[in-house]
Amino acid sequence: MAKRIPEDLRKLLGKDKVIDDPEIVSLYAREPSGISSEALAVVFPENVKDVSKIASYAYKNGVLIYPQGSTTDLVGGAVPEPKGIVVSFERMNRIINVSILDSIVDVEVGVRLGDLNVELAKHGYMFPIDPGSVNITTVGGAVNSGAGGLRGAKYGTMRDWVLGLTIVLPDEAGTVMRVGCRTTKCRQGYDLVRLIVGSEGTLALVAEATLKITPLPETMATALAFFSTLENLFEAYREIKSSGVQPLVMEFMDYETAKLAGEASKSPINVEGHMLLVSVDCNFEAVERVESWLRRVMEKNGALKVYTSKTIEGAEPLFTIRRSLFPAQVAMASKLYPGRKKIVYMEDIAVPPSKLLEAVTAVRRISEEKGLKVSIGGHVGDGNLHPSVAFPVDDEIVKKKVLEWEFEVSKTAVELGGTVSAEHGIGLRKKEFLKMEMEKLGSLKALEIMKGVKKVFDPKGILNPGKVV
Amino acid sequence: MRAWVEAEAEKCVYCGFCEPLCPTLYPGGHRGYGPRGRVNIAFNIVRGGKHTGETLKSIYSCLLCGACNLVCPAKIDIVGVIRASRALGG
Repeated sequence: MAKRIPEDLRKLLGKDKVIDDPEIVSLYAREPSGISSEALAVVFPENVKDVSKIASYAYKNGVLIYPQGSTTDLVGGAVPEPKGIVVSFERMNRIINVSILDSIVDVEVGVRLGDLNVELAKHGYMFPIDPGSVNITTVGGAVNSGAGGLRGAKYGTMRDWVLGLTIVLPDEAGTVMRVGCRTTKCRQGYDLVRLIVGSEGTLALVAEATLKITPLPETMATALAFFSTLENLFEAYREIKSSGVQPLVMEFMDYETAKLAGEASKSPINVEGHMLLVSVDCNFEAVERVESWLRRVMEKNGALKVYTSKTIEGAEPLFTIRRSLFPAQVAMASKLYPGRKKIVYMEDIAVPPSKLLEAVTAVRRISEEKGLKVSIGGHVGDGNLHPSVAFPVDDEIVKKKVLEWEFEVSKTAVELGGTVSAEHGIGLRKKEFLKMEMEKLGSLKALEIMKGVKKVFDPKGILNPGKVV
Repeated sequence: MRAWVEAEAEKCVYCGFCEPLCPTLYPGGHRGYGPRGRVNIAFNIVRGGKHTGETLKSIYSCLLCGACNLVCPAKIDIVGVIRASRALGG
C-alpha cells in the first residue's frame, strides 16, 4: 500500500505535484524543534481542487496527511509522525485580491507574510501579525499556529485578523467549505473560523484565507533603553502600560541575551544592561511629544542609556538588536557546545503583564537551579516571554535537564495566571503542559470536548494525528 | 573538506530564515531548491547518503549568489558548503 500511494497521487494530481525521492522528502520531515520523522511522499497542491482530491484520497485509503507551510514550527506541530504524506502548500502562493475599501485581502495560504506586506505596502497598508519568522512564515502556518508577534500588544494574534477561510475536510468527498465572512462583523452561528485558527492543522486543510488589513502607521516614536536592574526596567514598563497609551511594540531582552544579540547583529549600539524597546505609532504632529515622553519615563526609572527615534526608518537601527534574538540564542548554543549538533528550545509562555517581573525572575532562578544558561527575550507588551536554552543532541543528561526546565517554566506561567503557549502552539511537545494547565483550571473536561471536536471534523483521525490533544 | 562540510552543515537549526532570499526556491518548486534544503542534502551526502537526480539538481541549481549567507543565524557558509559539495563530486 505505502509503495502505491505516490503513484496513485501522481495519477490523481499530475506527476509534477508529487515527490517521493527520500532525500527530498526528508527535508519535509523535520522542523526547528529538533523533532524529525519520516514521510512517504510530499504533495504540492496548486489549487483548492487539488487539496480536495488529496483529502478525499486520504480518507478513502486511510492515509495520514500532514499540512505544512514553511515548517518554522517550534513544538513538533508539523512533523509527519506516524508516517504519512506531507501536503506542502508552498505552491499555493497567490495574492488573489486586495480591497482597500473593504480593508481585506484574499490569499492562498502558501503566501509568505513578508511577501504579503510588500504587496500591501504599495497601497499604504499592512497585515500586522509579525512573528519573528515573518519573512518565511506562510499565511497557512500563521493561521494554523494562531501566530502572534512583535505587534501583539496592539494588534493581537491571527484570531483577531482572519475573517474567513476556505477549508477542505478530510472526508469521502474532500468537501470544500467556506466559513466566516468578508466583513468585520459576522455572526454565522458558532464561530468555526476561530476554531480553525490555532487548530494546528488537526481539523481541516486550510486552503485560502480572507484577512483584515490595516493602514501603515503615519510614523512612530521609538525608545530603546538599557537598565541595570530588572526592577527598574519593569517600573518603566508599568508606567508606560498604565499611561493610557497603547504601544505598537514593547520588547524585552535580558542583559546577557541583548549583549549576544548586539554582537550577532554587529549593532553599533553599546548594550549596557537589560533592554526595553518601545514603539508608539502616532501622527507627525504628535511624534515629538510622544518621543520626549518615552525618554522621560525611561530616564525617570533609572535607564542607563536611552536612544530614541521619531521616524519609522530612523527606528530601524534601534530594532536591530531585538531582531537578532534568535541568532543570539543560536550563538549562545554554539558558544556552549562548539562543534556539536544542538537543539535550541525556545519557550513560549505568557503571563498577565502585572506578573512579568515575577515570571522573568522565576525563569532565571529555575535555569540557575538546573545549571542551564538561559536567554530571555519576549513580546512583553502582551506578557509573552520566549526564554530559551540549548542542548547537544548526544547529551542525554543535559537534555533531561532541559525537559525538566521546560516543565518548571510552564508550571510557573500557569501558577502566575498565564498559559503554557502564547503563540507557538501545542504540537507534540506541549501536550502534557496543556493538560497541566487545564488541570490547574479544573477544566480537564475541555480536553475531552476538544477530542470530540476533532472527531467531528476528522472522523478517521487522519489529519495531523497526535498533535494538540 | 568532507569534515568541514559536515561541521558547517551540522550548524543548521532548520529555521528557514535563508529561504525567502533565495532566487531559485520558487522556480524550483520544492525545498531542495533553497539553501535550507541544499545544506541538509550536502550534510546527508557527506554522511554517506547517495545522490539522486533531485539532489543533484538541488546542489547544481544554486546560483552561488550568497544572499542566504547574509541572513543565516547560525552563520553557516552556505555557499561554501555548496561549492565544496560540488567539488566532492556532487
